Amino acid sequence: MPDYDVIVIGAGLGGLSTAALCARHGFRTLVIEQSDIVGGCCSTFEADGYRFDVGASIVEVTRPLDALFELMGRSRADYMDLIPCDPIYSFITEDGRRFSYPTDIDACTEVIRRVAPGDVRGWESFCDTGLAMMEEMMDTVMLSPMNRFGEAMRVVLENPRVLKFAPTFLRSHQGVVRSFYRDPVMLQSVAFQSYFAGAPPELGSGVFGYIALSEHLGIYYPRGGMIAIPEGILAAGREHGLEVRTGTKVEKVLVENGTAGGVLLEDESVVTATIVVSNLNAQVTYLKLVGPERLPRWAVRGIASYENSMPCPMVYVGLDRAPELEAHHTVVTSSLESMNDVWNNYYKLDLIPDTAMSLVCWPTEADPTLAPEGKHILNFLCNAPAPYAPLGDNWDRLKPWYREQAIRELEKYVLPDVRDHIEYLQVSTPLDFERRLLHPRGGIYGLFSDMTSLAMFRPRSRSKVVKNLYLTGSSTHLGGGVPTTIASGIITSRYVIQDHG
Amino acid sequence: MGSLKRLLALLALAGLVVAWFSAGESTRRYLKHLGRQVPYLPYRYFI
Repeated sequence: MPDYDVIVIGAGLGGLSTAALCARHGFRTLVIEQSDIVGGCCSTFEADGYRFDVGASIVEVTRPLDALFELMGRSRADYMDLIPCDPIYSFITEDGRRFSYPTDIDACTEVIRRVAPGDVRGWESFCDTGLAMMEEMMDTVMLSPMNRFGEAMRVVLENPRVLKFAPTFLRSHQGVVRSFYRDPVMLQSVAFQSYFAGAPPELGSGVFGYIALSEHLGIYYPRGGMIAIPEGILAAGREHGLEVRTGTKVEKVLVENGTAGGVLLEDESVVTATIVVSNLNAQVTYLKLVGPERLPRWAVRGIASYENSMPCPMVYVGLDRAPELEAHHTVVTSSLESMNDVWNNYYKLDLIPDTAMSLVCWPTEADPTLAPEGKHILNFLCNAPAPYAPLGDNWDRLKPWYREQAIRELEKYVLPDVRDHIEYLQVSTPLDFERRLLHPRGGIYGLFSDMTSLAMFRPRSRSKVVKNLYLTGSSTHLGGGVPTTIASGIITSRYVIQDHG
Repeated sequence: MGSLKRLLALLALAGLVVAWFSAGESTRRYLKHLGRQVPYLPYRYFI
């Protein structure tokens, strides 16, 4: 008899969600996590009395999170406190204009009337189309398996109205937002979100063009830091018998006769299981943990064909005073053309851009307990995207230089004398993300998300090439992000329960 | 019938050429990017 029914490799949101639901269903389930903390990108670490979020900075579209707790027979509110963040963003444009988008759509319309009066009608039309699309797709596309053409067709047959939005999936992010807006400032305020899907506006899928609207359903910060979300899921899972081993690295997925049967750990011990679920990047799962020698050649070619999403260095800053910011998120934007130019003429040529998009997150605005009294933290994503291997150099050597660049940006946009108020500053480079989170080339949003790598063209949640192997997380349907990876966990658990329940 | 098919194919090809040359640089990059991914779709579908 195997040691467990289910082993889940990686305690990211997808892995924990799958594991908690499997435990709820009665499977003896173990999560193995290489780090000492759970959550992966959606986690929080402590340093010098400050608590910094590793990557994810807010949760929006809470439907999958609520659905997860409902499926566990629990209420999400009993496990975490989500603090609403309003306004959603404060913008600083390249010509120095500053404005904020409130959550309320009518209030936001008034801001747009001031900032880009020619695009008010476009905004209203964007809201009408986007809200209708979200209403039709939230529970169907977002929480439904999409591994096969038949599954996609089932979604369409159950709700033919979703077909109306099919062209959105064929267009680029830029194509969608340009169909509503003309004003350059308005365009940049709705285009930069394509980077959240790991792609520039001209290449990212059009469906992500509506992220700028979904944020108006509310963005939230969990009290205690982003780790409160995975810890809440884990706590609910533990009530159903879920076990977790942190600080334990999986070296190999054991495969015999094409069937997964457990894992080999770093200390050379073996843990057996009927089902193995990997929350790691699909390329790592197949090409390292399973091994190309155990896969058909066509599968190796397919899995290697995916591009990974762009890496983003993160800068964690502890300040002895409040920053001069207006919102939880401040976005320093540049023109839409510049966002594409940075990708084509810097990122793809392994050059670090000096201008693009920067995102300053101010978590102590929502939850002051993350820092000692009177002090504040900032999570700073500086000039994204940045290449994995900058030309002729590497990130370990570039760290001090990048730290100085980040401080200069903070002086420019956050606090002119920020240098005198920094008590803690740490840079996490793409190499660091690769080492800590096992994201190939530091791509924190999983695999690149365009129309050729979404839904049935993304690695399947139920592996076709290794029996009893399942995948979850950002490299499966629906891609990177807090709600999407939780949704992927729900979908993967459905396959496991359907096959073995 | 045969010549009608040839004519339609020719018109479709001409339409594609016109669409390509009337598209902006950005759209062309998008289409090129998709074109490079298309050969992998059969492999990706079965993984």
